[in-house]
Amino acid sequence: MKIEEFRDFSIGDYHRLFKDKEISPLELVNLFLERIKEGEDKIHAFLFVNEEKAKDEAQKKAENLPDELPPLWGLPVAIKDNICTRGIPTTCGSKMLENFTPPYDATVVERLKKAGAIILGKTNMDEFAMGSSTQTSAFGPTYNPFDRRRVPGGSSGGSAASVCSLEAPFALGSDTGGSVRQPAAFCGVVGLRPTYGRISRYGVVSFASSLDQVGLITRKVEDAITLLEVVSGKDDKDSTCAPYPPFGRSEIPAPEEIRKLKVGVPREYFPSGLEKVIKTKIQEVLEKLKEEEIEIVEVYLPHTSYALESYYIVAAAEASSNLARYDGVVYGLRVEGENLQDMYFKTRTLGFGREVKKRIILGTYALSSGYYDEYYLKGMKVRTLVRQDFEEAFGKCDLLITPTTPSLPFFPEKKGRDSYEMYLNDMFTVPSAMAGLPSLSLNCGYDEGLPVGLQIIGRPFEEGKLLGLALFLEKLLALPSPFPLFKEDNNE
Amino acid sequence: MSDFTTTIGLEVHCQLLTQAKMFCHCSTDYIGKEPNTLVCPVCLGLPGSLPVLNQKVVELALRAALALHCQILPQGVFHRKNYFYPDLPKGYQISQYDLPIGVDGFLEFYSRGVKKKVRIKRVHIEEDAGKLIHEGVFLPPGTSGVDCNRCGIPLAEVVTEPELSSPEEARDCLMMLRNIVCYLGVSDGNMEEGSLRCDANISLSSSSLLGVKVEVKNMNSFRSVYRALSYEVERQRKLLEEGKPIFQETRHWDEVKGVTVSARGKEGAEDYRYFPDPDLLPFSIKGEMIEEIKSELPELPLQREERFMTEYELSQGEAEILVQDKEIADFFEDTLRDFNEPRMVCNWITTEVFKNLKELGIDISQASITPAHLAELLKMVDKKEISGTIAKSVLEEMFATGARAREVITRRGISFISDEKELENIVREVIEKNPQSVADYLSGKEKALQFLIGQVMKETRGQADPELTKSILIKVLSSEE
Amino acid sequence: MREVISLQELKRIAQVSKLELSEEELQGFFEDINNVVSRFEKLNDLDLQDISPTSHLSWSEPPFSSDEPRAGEGGEEVLKGAPQVANGYFVVPRVVDKEEKENEDRRV
Repeated sequence: MKIEEFRDFSIGDYHRLFKDKEISPLELVNLFLERIKEGEDKIHAFLFVNEEKAKDEAQKKAENLPDELPPLWGLPVAIKDNICTRGIPTTCGSKMLENFTPPYDATVVERLKKAGAIILGKTNMDEFAMGSSTQTSAFGPTYNPFDRRRVPGGSSGGSAASVCSLEAPFALGSDTGGSVRQPAAFCGVVGLRPTYGRISRYGVVSFASSLDQVGLITRKVEDAITLLEVVSGKDDKDSTCAPYPPFGRSEIPAPEEIRKLKVGVPREYFPSGLEKVIKTKIQEVLEKLKEEEIEIVEVYLPHTSYALESYYIVAAAEASSNLARYDGVVYGLRVEGENLQDMYFKTRTLGFGREVKKRIILGTYALSSGYYDEYYLKGMKVRTLVRQDFEEAFGKCDLLITPTTPSLPFFPEKKGRDSYEMYLNDMFTVPSAMAGLPSLSLNCGYDEGLPVGLQIIGRPFEEGKLLGLALFLEKLLALPSPFPLFKEDNNE
Repeated sequence: MSDFTTTIGLEVHCQLLTQAKMFCHCSTDYIGKEPNTLVCPVCLGLPGSLPVLNQKVVELALRAALALHCQILPQGVFHRKNYFYPDLPKGYQISQYDLPIGVDGFLEFYSRGVKKKVRIKRVHIEEDAGKLIHEGVFLPPGTSGVDCNRCGIPLAEVVTEPELSSPEEARDCLMMLRNIVCYLGVSDGNMEEGSLRCDANISLSSSSLLGVKVEVKNMNSFRSVYRALSYEVERQRKLLEEGKPIFQETRHWDEVKGVTVSARGKEGAEDYRYFPDPDLLPFSIKGEMIEEIKSELPELPLQREERFMTEYELSQGEAEILVQDKEIADFFEDTLRDFNEPRMVCNWITTEVFKNLKELGIDISQASITPAHLAELLKMVDKKEISGTIAKSVLEEMFATGARAREVITRRGISFISDEKELENIVREVIEKNPQSVADYLSGKEKALQFLIGQVMKETRGQADPELTKSILIKVLSSEE
Repeated sequence: MREVISLQELKRIAQVSKLELSEEELQGFFEDINNVVSRFEKLNDLDLQDISPTSHLSWSEPPFSSDEPRAGEGGEEVLKGAPQVANGYFVVPRVVDKEEKENEDRRV
């Protein structure tokens, strides 16, 4: 078999092959490993390929085909390198953790394993998840498989690129202000950020604790559903994980019910800075929905333009505290010094990249005595206003549709480019993250070979409706699944 | 001429008696364990680890806060206290800032026989840091070592208002606080082992001079607290008298040299950049929980002390000694059930029992003697069946062997003379020798009988069977009528 | 770009965060960070007086943990992988003062 045969596959299709004995888990893993070898020097999605262990695991499974296949049995999965995997390096894209191998698995990893998945490898990311382009990784950037001169988005760029190029059938990422949705949009794949608290954060290296969520990156919405069922649900190791049972696909309304849902379009998400192509594509989708007799209403989210600033303060503040543990004492990088303080300074200065340092400084400033009220407290208050905006909008509709990003995948940051401009990439994904709402990015078309992402936002814990509409749209749009070729002459 | 006013406030940390740590399931039983063996990803602060609050911590802290008459806040919120130090793996301590578990309480205690009251500013909960050891056999030269076994142990911090007016008062206040937490089963209050720690703020002021607050740390026993603060009072007084300035600083008590030493570094507070810990959701403290805990509060040391004073007519000093250790106080009251002579029991406990405990190096809970056993022995003394001196040595043996009084007496051959004939002879001898008492008894004075029994006991060196003696005496005397 | 944070202040904050920045880096950060921070000022357009801050996204009461001790996982592995260990302790350069929390003034 060849990997391109899996281009339109979802998990059920792989399981069918296993059951029909058309392929063994080992053969499948090998196909993906070959694909990775083929693509890695071109897109650099992976930081670590778990070749030996994945083969062993696949071999074990091959020898023991159960009658009833657990939901992810035999399927390789790529995991963003800020999610702890026991015995497998977890670097967060940083020199600070270059040689760190966690002695434990994140809860989501445990659940994946329990469901029969095989860890294919760890994917590249912006350092400590701070970024929107996967350019700040200490180990080199990742390239957009559609056009390798462009960025794949970030910070889960490696995960998105690997799924896009079919180096992995699906991947885990993390989303703080858009780090799963934005790269999913740039790589033409599905990126789900669930409700805050839906998936356990235990073992997911913290960036901004009140915003971080594990995200799912898949080629088909169906796979996002299966994955969500497996990884979601209460966890007694995470106080912020809601004490509810895992998501079940019975929560997804039937298509007839989907048609009855009201879709809101917030006009603040169509500013003048939005790339025309994207605007057009989104409007086309909305037209199609109208044709399907789905009601579209205009809603208002007046504090949208303040969300980005308050996000940056709050996230940086939490990050500055979360990253204080990297001090060279118990784990991670240590640079020897003349004394303790010298060691602290040298270790942290060498271990962290520029963007991380910048955010730590920003965050420390925002929490400093005398500035707390002005910055952090204000940031938290604006967050309340952003939440209230959504609550009100959801009084008029069930789901929101917006663009995922203001621009198409862009070229890597030129030197001296303004941080703020980079931050604007997150303008559509940040507000829903601030409100802890479930949101999903779905490919809604291509412009000159580059994918355009459409974002759906739902009410807390209404992933059912969200995924239902996503399935509906996916079917409606019937777009070709991404499969960039890796031949040398392919630059588009 | 110095007429300075001393003002002292205390900051006391108590390790809470839970089995598991505050935010993870590691055991709290760290004393004597190999370093870094009671650890896990959470208390080591590994990347990706998250805290989950141990319910018992809240219960115990509430008990303490309620016993200190605090207002309990309806919501529990944790804040991060951010600073860098090797014994702090996460680079921050999970603590409470402006929303502590309890506020505005008070503590009453006796100091030099006078009842005092100090207001409690706040009670809050936080996690303990690890232990640092400095250079030694275990470590390469020029290094320090970190042991994270203690990271994450739950602490309750109690802060008093600066209302204590002498080192003595401060010490007595601390002792009462310790007794309270022990009584509550909230902490074992052991300063030597570090489960109770005390820092103090002290300032001297006069009518014309505002006091400068000096923080004193590293006082590891009640005595140290007294000595360190006494030293500070002197040091500050001298400076003030000489017109020299007092710096607002932290000073460490040096137990060996008997002085406080300025701790190197900063004037002014470090900025800990407190903010609400996003990993721990605020939790409600419901009225029902508060009521339940309140209703289950045991009698507290002060109440017990005062009850002992009124109910048993003991002096404040006597009551205080008994009440220091809840188990001793319990033992005392249990003994009274069988032998209701509070003064005597108190006396015996505070002298002989304490002496034996000290010599054996044990607590009352480890002793083989029970309240019933003690009562039995004391009854004999009271009835003058045996002398006090003999009883003391009997007690010693009871402690050593666990035997009951009569067993010991028999074994030692302090046998009771229970032969009627023999006793009767002795009784007649005594009657002859004490005509006045006989006359007294015959004229109705019961006490004379006791005296005569005592005389028989004396004659027999405590070996007469007291019951039998009494009946023989009565028989003989009545026949004398 | 408006100067909200001075170069001196920036140095101090870097110090507090245990980060050593070269003069060049500081200058670069100075412009970049002030650019970001000066945009925060638009938050002053809003009337936030009666708004309560969102410090947590809390959908329900958090779970409590039971007071049951268990053996922790990973301690041995962490010691094995630690930068420096001796006799079971994590080793650091000598901590000069037991209560030292502030760094010696070596830069600012």
